[in-house]
Amino acid sequence: MKQVININFHGQVVPIETSAFELLKAYTDSLSRYFANEEGKEEIINDIESRIGELFQGRLKKGATCITDDDVNAIIKSMGRPEEFEGEEEKVASTLGESAGSKTSEQQAKTEVPPTTPTGNKRLFRDENNKVIGGVCGGLANYFGTDPVIIRVIFAVVALAFGTGLLAYIILWVAVPSSASTTIGASRKKLFRDPDDKFIAGVCRGIGNYFGVSAWIPRILFLIPFLSFAFRDRHWGAFDFPGFLNLSFSPGSLIIYIILWLVIPEASNTAEKLEMKGEKVDMNSIKNSVVEEMKGVQQRAEKFGKEASAVVGEKGRVMGSEIKTVAKRGGRSLGDVIIFLVKAFAYFIIGCVSFGLVVALFALAVVSIGLFPLKEFLLTEGWQNALAWGTLLFFIAVPVIGIITWIIRRLTKMKSNRKILRASFISLWIVGWVCFICLIASISKDFKSINNVNEQNVTLSNPAINKLLLTTNSPLKSGYRYNSFRIEPFEAWDEDTVTVKNIEIKIIKSTSDSFSVTLLKIANGRTKRFADTLANLIQFNVEQKDSLLIVDKGIAINRKDKFRNQRVVLNVYVPVGKQIRIDKSVGWGNNNVRFDGPWNEGDYFIDRDDEEHGWESNVDYIMKADGLYTLDGRKAEDWDNDHEPKVKIGPSSIEINDNGDKIKIDKNGVKVHDGSNGDNYRYNGNESINKIDSMKQKLDEQQRVKDSLEKVKHNVEKQLEKIEDKKENETEAVVYPATIFIPFINFD
Amino acid sequence: MNIDNTASQMRKGVLEFCILSVIKQGEAYPSDIIDKMKAANLNIFEGTLYPLLTRLKNAEFLTYRWIESNSGPPRKYFSLTEKGAQFYKELEATWNELANAVKALSEAEQEHTAGQENANINFNNPQ
Repeated sequence: MKQVININFHGQVVPIETSAFELLKAYTDSLSRYFANEEGKEEIINDIESRIGELFQGRLKKGATCITDDDVNAIIKSMGRPEEFEGEEEKVASTLGESAGSKTSEQQAKTEVPPTTPTGNKRLFRDENNKVIGGVCGGLANYFGTDPVIIRVIFAVVALAFGTGLLAYIILWVAVPSSASTTIGASRKKLFRDPDDKFIAGVCRGIGNYFGVSAWIPRILFLIPFLSFAFRDRHWGAFDFPGFLNLSFSPGSLIIYIILWLVIPEASNTAEKLEMKGEKVDMNSIKNSVVEEMKGVQQRAEKFGKEASAVVGEKGRVMGSEIKTVAKRGGRSLGDVIIFLVKAFAYFIIGCVSFGLVVALFALAVVSIGLFPLKEFLLTEGWQNALAWGTLLFFIAVPVIGIITWIIRRLTKMKSNRKILRASFISLWIVGWVCFICLIASISKDFKSINNVNEQNVTLSNPAINKLLLTTNSPLKSGYRYNSFRIEPFEAWDEDTVTVKNIEIKIIKSTSDSFSVTLLKIANGRTKRFADTLANLIQFNVEQKDSLLIVDKGIAINRKDKFRNQRVVLNVYVPVGKQIRIDKSVGWGNNNVRFDGPWNEGDYFIDRDDEEHGWESNVDYIMKADGLYTLDGRKAEDWDNDHEPKVKIGPSSIEINDNGDKIKIDKNGVKVHDGSNGDNYRYNGNESINKIDSMKQKLDEQQRVKDSLEKVKHNVEKQLEKIEDKKENETEAVVYPATIFIPFINFD
Repeated sequence: MNIDNTASQMRKGVLEFCILSVIKQGEAYPSDIIDKMKAANLNIFEGTLYPLLTRLKNAEFLTYRWIESNSGPPRKYFSLTEKGAQFYKELEATWNELANAVKALSEAEQEHTAGQENANINFNNPQ
């Protein structure tokens, strides 16, 4: 009486006697030992096995109820035993010596394939018998000889706290072999994409098959980052995803999906499909039982070692020969050494630069992903939007995916259709470039025109106060931002509004004796008219309450109106003798109030006056006839060189320094450096009074200089006279008077 | 020196040539090749054939395509590549040279042995 089992042999169900199965297994084991060192071993064994499968089918078709010992023996006889193969001489000898004939291989298999506990070196397995999810913790506990509960608690804590524990678990789940692979006939699975049950490319289904779970679990895992986008919920309790998956719109999982798509092969034939699902008792899986696996690893390691050493050796030889030739000629010329060094240096630089480029690319990818929600505020619907997607996917994501795929393919040494892959990547990237350029062109068109700017008066409830305090009541705090990415000038954004901090505050001397405030609203647009509309839509509240002037912190822009560099200039006219103070809450910086919007540089419309620079918040300033001063008498814009005295009198020179206007008198003559000429001393109509004041001031200064020069001249003349007198008295010789050149000073 | 070893060495040398000449006649499935070789009285094991086919394929002398079979798994049908055809021509030339040489040599030997026999006869005749 014999037991009959059903096995799945290369996609065919085969009823076989257990003893016949043992024979068959021993035979395939001996084959795989025999071909262990053969290139294409897997393929050969696959061919032989599929031939055996065919022969089995032949027997069954002839009416046999099952495969018997005799059948297997007959097949083995026709296929030939390894020692009967006519291969290369030494291989036959070595295999024969090694396994001493496969008639005893049945016994051998039993001793070599160890379901028994390995005595020597411990190996890490996932524990299939003691598992909650994938048996990782159980396996680790076995390995370290502790209770699995401890490991589980550690993993749970790490997963909850940082989310990384989850990732580590998944990696271990994939990387660590299952303990089931140690028992004969158990499944040994391979990761394939499942073409039969797929949404996109069958990646999730394949992963599900691999881990023996429903495809919905990987699908949901892939979708969670997208769901988080939908629900705007960043904290998932147990599922706190690692940062890069957790961006508000997360193509992170999309990128991972695409990479998996490219890397995981599709299960194209029945054998692979079975491998994917890991049906029990498959000849393929038996073949790969632990001994083979260890051998395979060893072989791969050896192969890798050989290849690596070959590469290193080759590089070393090239370097060596270069050094040798250099050394040979070194006696004759130093030039070669220098050339060699320059070469080495150039390689180093190229390496650094390319590494930097790759890093920059990845950074760009991350930043653009972070910026992506902003596109709603920048782009019009329709094809501009499509271009933005095209840019993100093809211009940024494609090279990132390409590099990652290249690295993975490099590591796994995949060689198939590399050209096609490369070509498709490059063409996609070109598409990306086109999208990018079109997008930039289209956006710059949207910013082409500027509106007609007019100054609006803001009515103040009490303009006659002595001290005005600029402050804000905005709930948005400086220093705190909703998003970790900080892209100027965008400060904070949510679903339908974005706050732009394009606010410039100018402090100007008032002609009257009371405070006044004016507001300029500026916007860009595709046409002047559109820009005008947008400028009118700018909401910027300025309101006086007692001594407080409350201004908005930023300009709110909604999705419909779009961001077209809307900006606001707030002119605060301060009368002479009155004080002003800017609260820290105005603006966004920490120390200096930013008085000029970052995008306004070089803008022809807005003058950048000296008053705007070097201010500090939370400091009281007082307006004087020639500008703003702190209460202790320091000029507002003077903070760079505030300790420099105005007039320096040295042993042989006199230096007068006033706000960058320098007059230096020494034996070389008089030098005048007018600091205002080099700077932008331009004035608009509002500041003509300012100009007159400073002109007056300048004239005074010049008068003073003239006076002092006059004095010097006088002194020198006196001294000359004295000398002349002396000389006349002493020598009675005719002395020509020394001439002193006082160069003509043009004060204008 | 035993006879089996020498014989197998000789067969091994020409196996690749034989396989190529079978495939040259048209696309062939491994068991077809075995059958044809059997018919030509050249018995080899399938276990010998598969590694040789894989090696020839890896050397780009052969190519194959899958053809679904109604009994069992899909079958690999092998055919010669251009490189393989070239290789075959060279092998054929070598083989012809070798065969002629062997023939010439063994015929000479036969004459020689025949001569010896005659001598023996001659030698034996007087008795």
